[in-house]
Amino acid sequence: MTLSRRDFLKLTGLVAASSALASCRPLYELAGHPPLTGWPPLSPADFRALNRLTFGARLAERARVAEIGLLAWVEEQLAPDSINDFACNLRLRNLDTLAMTGQQLFDLSNKLFDDFDLETVPNQLRQGTLIRQVYSQRQLYEVMVEFWNDHFNIATDKGECYYLKTVDDRQVARAHALGSFRDLLWASAHSPAMLVYLDNQANHKSAPNENYARELLELHSLGVHGGYSQADVMELARCLTGWSVKEHFWRGEFTFNTEQHDTGEKVVLGARIPPGGQDEAESVLERLARHPSTAQFVVEKLARRFLADDPPAEIVQKGVHAFDVSSGDIRTVLKVILLDGLPLAREKYKRPVNFVAASLRMLNAESDCGSAVQDYLLRMGQVPFNWPTPDGCPDHVAAWQGNLMPRWQFAFALARNELAKTEVDLTALLAASGVDNPLDVFSTLLLGAPLPANEKDALLTSLRSAGASHDELLPILAGGLLASPAFQWR
Amino acid sequence: MLTDKSWLPRLAFAPPQTAPRGDTLVVIFLRGAADVLNMVVPHGENAYYNLRPSLGIPRPDDTRAKNESRTINLDGFFGLHPEMRLLLEMWQEKQLAIIHACGAPDESRSHFKAMELMERGVDDERGPASGWIGRHLATLDTGNSSPLRAIGLGQMPQRSLSGSVPVSALRSIADFHLGKDLRAVAQMRSALNTIYAEDVAGQETLKILDILQKLDPIAQSQNSQIAQYPDSDFGPALRQTALLIKAEVGLEVAAIDLGGWDTHFAQAGIQVNLLKDLSAGLAAFHAEMHDHLGSLTVVTMSEFGRRAAENGSLGTDHGHGSMMMVMGGHVNGGRIHGQWPGLETEQLVGPGDLAVTTDYRDVLAEIIQNRLNNPAVGEIFPGYFPAPLPRLLFD
Repeated sequence: MTLSRRDFLKLTGLVAASSALASCRPLYELAGHPPLTGWPPLSPADFRALNRLTFGARLAERARVAEIGLLAWVEEQLAPDSINDFACNLRLRNLDTLAMTGQQLFDLSNKLFDDFDLETVPNQLRQGTLIRQVYSQRQLYEVMVEFWNDHFNIATDKGECYYLKTVDDRQVARAHALGSFRDLLWASAHSPAMLVYLDNQANHKSAPNENYARELLELHSLGVHGGYSQADVMELARCLTGWSVKEHFWRGEFTFNTEQHDTGEKVVLGARIPPGGQDEAESVLERLARHPSTAQFVVEKLARRFLADDPPAEIVQKGVHAFDVSSGDIRTVLKVILLDGLPLAREKYKRPVNFVAASLRMLNAESDCGSAVQDYLLRMGQVPFNWPTPDGCPDHVAAWQGNLMPRWQFAFALARNELAKTEVDLTALLAASGVDNPLDVFSTLLLGAPLPANEKDALLTSLRSAGASHDELLPILAGGLLASPAFQWR
Repeated sequence: MLTDKSWLPRLAFAPPQTAPRGDTLVVIFLRGAADVLNMVVPHGENAYYNLRPSLGIPRPDDTRAKNESRTINLDGFFGLHPEMRLLLEMWQEKQLAIIHACGAPDESRSHFKAMELMERGVDDERGPASGWIGRHLATLDTGNSSPLRAIGLGQMPQRSLSGSVPVSALRSIADFHLGKDLRAVAQMRSALNTIYAEDVAGQETLKILDILQKLDPIAQSQNSQIAQYPDSDFGPALRQTALLIKAEVGLEVAAIDLGGWDTHFAQAGIQVNLLKDLSAGLAAFHAEMHDHLGSLTVVTMSEFGRRAAENGSLGTDHGHGSMMMVMGGHVNGGRIHGQWPGLETEQLVGPGDLAVTTDYRDVLAEIIQNRLNNPAVGEIFPGYFPAPLPRLLFD
């Protein structure tokens, strides 16, 4: 740490001061920030942990962790309803489709409004999701919402998913992100968007369609090694015949169509299922939710998200135990993975959404999270609700590491204020820090600490030799740090 | 701190063989398990029509169907889906070979497991984590150090490419730049050179930037003068591959994905669009590469095939046996290779699927040995001994 403690304390005044300095910033920006006085710098381990638990550690969060400790901060975040999110909610106020029912969304899109674009609903969902990831104070909740939306992946370009996903996002991932896995699985299975996405509305007696049944076993619960067979897929598909979506009144609502249901006896995972209509698949859901393979699959995936591409086996084992004894309580499992696991965390590569959100958050950007930002996400390979296949976006370094160019372009475009409806005020950030070395300020903001002297010298020397003037230096330094190998990891 | 990568895993390979580079290989992966029975149609089998009363592609001589919706006869038993008619010319020129009923031994019928095993070129998950193309590149020293030796077209490098040779994804040559403001570009470049001084992936990206900047900007921006590529993601991927081959930037392998083949529901319309895209793309690429066909091999593959019988939603569920196409100047083309297992009930496997009679690795191994000059198929496909079918595919 080459900054003095006094300098660092000045740096911590950044967020409040820069908000005040930028007069164009609306008043609600100032709501919800904790006081930023008298807290010590974060340890590298806490900085890393915070970057796993958020979409990029803002100074306010660093301050809060320094004040109350990481464990207490995790407890706070695990109770998202107790966190005031007024400022973020204000940003969502124009995205009026986010709260609508399926029928309302369908009516909107069904030519009742001449100038209504079919892309409006999914675009608002994408924009709202990114706004929440960047601006919500309930960061761990948003991280988990993203995780479950990946786990129960639905692409909005599949049939009526373009509007049904908005309902699914609310009623599945958001409703149960920190609740019980059983309720989450149950909600997803009854979600019209999921039934459409995986063709179950076309799964009829005497002519079953296996698509949803297979992915329910393979991707949502047991995992591909979870001990089911092709026969189980076919039998579960029979149980799910008739699980469909209403097409006329209450369009877009779940319905069980008795006419299309195969009433014969079935055997799934070794158990005989007597004829029972909708209860048949529901009884399988109950078994899947507490199956040991499900615990193993889900816990390992969570540990991969938060800890390492190849997560430590002992933590996974503890998490599986917690899953069993708590009947799949997600909060309980998360506590084990985070509190026991974070000290063992290894490097994780930032996925594109994480990279973009962290850039916006850590430079205190003002952004509508709209098309300018999303165009870059598309080129990086990850736009929310756009992943075509039901496995969800990959969560390991190999998938993302070979496509640096759009990240570099975004980094410099953001720092140079070239993105539409997105603005950073680097001068204000620097002024508010009270430190006059911009490289120290930006590296502390983005990487957790100032760079070692030799790396600082090398970077500044190369920029001076490229003729960078004093005014040009700020954006090139901030952009360069965002583009750097270190910032690609979290 | 900016560049610390000490914890990154290291991959070890046997010292590479030295050989002059062979063909440029273009690997097209049809993701989602393409329904090959409706692509290369066994119109000589009654069972096909019994299994697919609604989805079956009418026989070439079925006068009840419109001419343009009938199978295009190839050899009296097999024929092409009518929307693949653009492939007929290269078939007749004997530059397109088809290997039917081929695939992998894996019977999970899981897209994700099957794709992963196939791209890694392994029988089960215990095999090496790198991809078969990655191991091909690592085991053959062609004296080519170009950062474009292998490229994944799209946003993500394909799993098959991963290995010790760094591989980049390239979505758009035209977008691969740092801007038009030369003064700012010089400064960005300077910053990137410094912060990526010891980072392999970043160094490769910077080298690619240098190479692509030297390409003729007019050639980049305009569509080809020779060929009309489809307006899709697939068309530009092939178009850019052609551009890189012609520019002689050292391209040895290009991997391209064409997704959307998971047709459980309302298959006919979806597949027509995919087949138009695939066929128009391949035909355009074939036309544009006319003078380069002697050193080019294109192969298409998919993770598995689909159920022989149609399902109740005018679609098909996950099956087993698939089909590969190989296109190039040295291909023993105009022929259907492999043994046809038949579609009668007792000839089907699992829940009623086309059997696999040729392992996909037999096809790839022959390409690797005969056209890429790499004898190390044992390392590329560990634990597998490709069937001795030398020069089945190549004259």
